Amino acid sequence: MMSLAARRPRTDARRAFVGGVRDIAPLAASVAPFGLAIGAAVGASDVPRLAGWAGGPLILAGSAQLTTVEMLDAGAAPLVIIVSALVLNARILMYGAALAPWFRDETLMRRLLLAVPLIDQLFLVAAPRFEEDDLDRRARQAYYGGAASVLIGVWVAAQTIGLVAGVGLPPALGLHLAAPLALAGLLAKSINGRPAIVAAIVAALVVVVGAGLPQQSGVLVAASVGVAVGHMTATRRERTSS
Amino acid sequence: MTPWLVIVAVALGTYAIRASMFVLVGVRPLPRRLEAMLGLVAPAAVAALVSSIVLIRAGSVEPAPIPELAAIAAGLVAVRRTGNVLAAFAVGMPLFWLLTPALP
Repeated sequence: MMSLAARRPRTDARRAFVGGVRDIAPLAASVAPFGLAIGAAVGASDVPRLAGWAGGPLILAGSAQLTTVEMLDAGAAPLVIIVSALVLNARILMYGAALAPWFRDETLMRRLLLAVPLIDQLFLVAAPRFEEDDLDRRARQAYYGGAASVLIGVWVAAQTIGLVAGVGLPPALGLHLAAPLALAGLLAKSINGRPAIVAAIVAALVVVVGAGLPQQSGVLVAASVGVAVGHMTATRRERTSS
Repeated sequence: MTPWLVIVAVALGTYAIRASMFVLVGVRPLPRRLEAMLGLVAPAAVAALVSSIVLIRAGSVEPAPIPELAAIAAGLVAVRRTGNVLAAFAVGMPLFWLLTPALP
């Protein structure tokens, strides 16, 4: 019995790893066309190919990488480029805040490692999975690690192919739609309950209202306002129902 | 040299953004009020991402072509009905291919 009990977490972790791989697969596939396009954009720019390519695994965020490459190519001031890319990535702060409590018992080194791949698709898959609350510490890390390795593997491979082949996919195929389609699918799965629906609708509207916000900070601002308003409706409902 | 420096700076800055909350959570627990909001980050962030991809071009409101809008809306409904993210591709892509030649 002892050995059975001791062995169980290991099986759980392995199963969780496979679960992470399986859940991220459609999302990893959906970002591949974007990765190809970025690789091709690097190849067509005046940015040194190796530096532009290294931006893939180093930055691990497509829109910020593309912004960086395009602005370098246009000869923008380095500080302006860095600030633009970081404002664009500031939304990751919210993902970190939302996932951090799940990893609070890990060592600092482990948490620093877990932070490396954090990005939209990984967060959007891991957060709802963790909230089911049937994974222990090891299983959570296995799930997250499985999903992260597939996402990064596909991402770097797609950029490499795009850079070497020198072309993205023909627009008529519409494969650029894969990423927003997958995100729309995650949106459909994530809006459960009134506060979540309010948060989503408010965020989507604030993006439109805030279209002119500097340095593409719109997504961060919109998501924050959406969370705040959604939270207000949740607390108001609690108060009226109690 | 400059491209390398800029790319490495963006990478380090992005990593600092990623790691900050993971480091902080070990120092002190997040405030309860904040923690209550965290479940709403996913719906709000993904709605903002989709909205900005579909409706915003280069800092101004410019909706994507109708076939793309229709495909994404149909994908959203399909996943809502089936609970499977793959349904978004299964419904959205064919709809896009059908509508693209039909609409300018």
